[in-house]
Amino acid sequence: MRLGMFFREALRSIRANAAISVAATVTALIAVFILGAFIPSFMYVRSAVSAQTSKVDVDVYISDTASVKQVNVLRDKIGTLKTDGQVAEFTYVSKDDALRLMRERLRDPSVLDQLPSNPLPAKFNIQPTDPANANAIVAAVKDDAALDPTEGIVYPQTTADRLLTAAKFVQWAGFALIGILLVAAVLLIGNTIRLSIFARRREVEVMRLVGATNWFIRWPFMIEGVICGLVGAVVAVAMLWGIKVGVVDAWASGADTALTKTGSAGEAIAFPLLTVVLVGAGALLGAVGSGITLRRFLRI
Amino acid sequence: MARIDDDIHDADSTQRAFTLVEVPPETVPADLAVVTPPSGEKRRRGDVFRPGPGPMVQFQGVIKRYDGDVRGLDGVSVSIAAGEFVFLVGQSGSGKSTFIRLCIRELRATSGHVIIGGRDLGELRRSKVPYLRRAIGCVFQDFRLLPDRTASENVAYALQVTGHSRQEVNRRVPEILALVGLDGKGDRLPRELSGGEQQRVSIARALVNQPRLLIADEPTGNLDPDTSQGIMDLLTRINRTGTTVLVATHDRDTVDRMQQRVIALHKGRIVRDAEGGYNEDPGDTGEIA
Repeated sequence: MRLGMFFREALRSIRANAAISVAATVTALIAVFILGAFIPSFMYVRSAVSAQTSKVDVDVYISDTASVKQVNVLRDKIGTLKTDGQVAEFTYVSKDDALRLMRERLRDPSVLDQLPSNPLPAKFNIQPTDPANANAIVAAVKDDAALDPTEGIVYPQTTADRLLTAAKFVQWAGFALIGILLVAAVLLIGNTIRLSIFARRREVEVMRLVGATNWFIRWPFMIEGVICGLVGAVVAVAMLWGIKVGVVDAWASGADTALTKTGSAGEAIAFPLLTVVLVGAGALLGAVGSGITLRRFLRI
Repeated sequence: MARIDDDIHDADSTQRAFTLVEVPPETVPADLAVVTPPSGEKRRRGDVFRPGPGPMVQFQGVIKRYDGDVRGLDGVSVSIAAGEFVFLVGQSGSGKSTFIRLCIRELRATSGHVIIGGRDLGELRRSKVPYLRRAIGCVFQDFRLLPDRTASENVAYALQVTGHSRQEVNRRVPEILALVGLDGKGDRLPRELSGGEQQRVSIARALVNQPRLLIADEPTGNLDPDTSQGIMDLLTRINRTGTTVLVATHDRDTVDRMQQRVIALHKGRIVRDAEGGYNEDPGDTGEIA
């Protein structure tokens, strides 16, 4: 029943200070919108980087002239590496398989029909348990007799190293940015609510005079902050949804019309989860913002 | 009239002066005490401030210095018994407001003791100050009403603060508004009421929690003489129910008319403490500034 009363008090004060309430709501909207645009971007980059990292695989091309026996020797070598724990998975891709894969990836596979013979070599595709193992794997197989003399071994060494560094950087930079954004948002909302409290300083004085405890005064203000935060967050989420459907999704499907089908390199956060996170953040911003600001006015 | 006579018989010597106040019988409510529930009813958690026996207000060598060595009070010792009606007089700057603000702990004494209802306010924890204020009704020159709330809502706020149920608020607010002569005006906002009516709202708010001590700082300062008289009558009636009333004022006419105990302050010191009129000029008292 007390909560009901505090809630009514909060609504009364929102109505009585409409301009400031709108300002606080818009502030929350902007903060949540930026946060909401940043979190999926960050998640996407992060997962794209880690997807690339897991794609650091070693292709060992086999000479067209290699005998079945030679190929089996190479297969055993790689098998040993797998039992050692350096290789997670390896597959044999025959010449025919290679051509079929190429056909799938091209938008206009008919160009391949012009070829007099299959130019693609067979290969072993090796996935290391860890990108850092790639060098050791290469060292183990590089002098094998079955290797194609021209193609040899193909693996993105520098890419692997850079991706590892990039993954770490993206992670920490992302966390730092989210932290800074949150602090900025709390300060912004706090400032706006301070305006509201300045406007009602006398009112708070009178409340204290008739013996209202600090929490009795604080609750309606905090609820007010939460309401502004929630409304701002909901509007921000609606705007983000519009942008996702109207711009991002359209762009993503447009990307498939390019020469090659890219597939999805990374996964962003699921929208329902993002909504929950953002609405929660909005409410928290409002509560913390007004809570911190009130402290200064409730002394003595 | 019978009721007034009873009051006089029951009153102690400090209240005998009531015989001098002309209160038309019809303005005296049937029973002002109707708003005072039987003692022991619903003591709420945290309601820690209960005046004990002994003086209601006691100042012991109280000195209050503001920044820059400005003296608000300069060694004040005085005692006000429960049930008294006391005027605190003096020119502006004499220390009246400091005295009042010390009583509700808006200020803390630089040295000495301010004791309200037996509790030394210097030892009162800050978190307990709200409970002190609930035990004291406060009325100010500028009314200090919440501007965007109706008369009823202003009074109701003081009840909500002390945790009364909505039913109780709905029952008691019209009752107390009728008591201060605002029957039917509960739905008006402060700006829709006259000065005297606003002051009645603030008195209703001060009374609604049945304080044992009512403090009024220049309650008639913004009001015309007739309206002032009405407010003073109301305070007198409140005093008659046993509430201690302390009124700070420089309204000479009112004080002369009421013939109550008068504590005169000059430059932060008590220069006179006697029953009677205002007797303004502190120069006559031989006070050495």
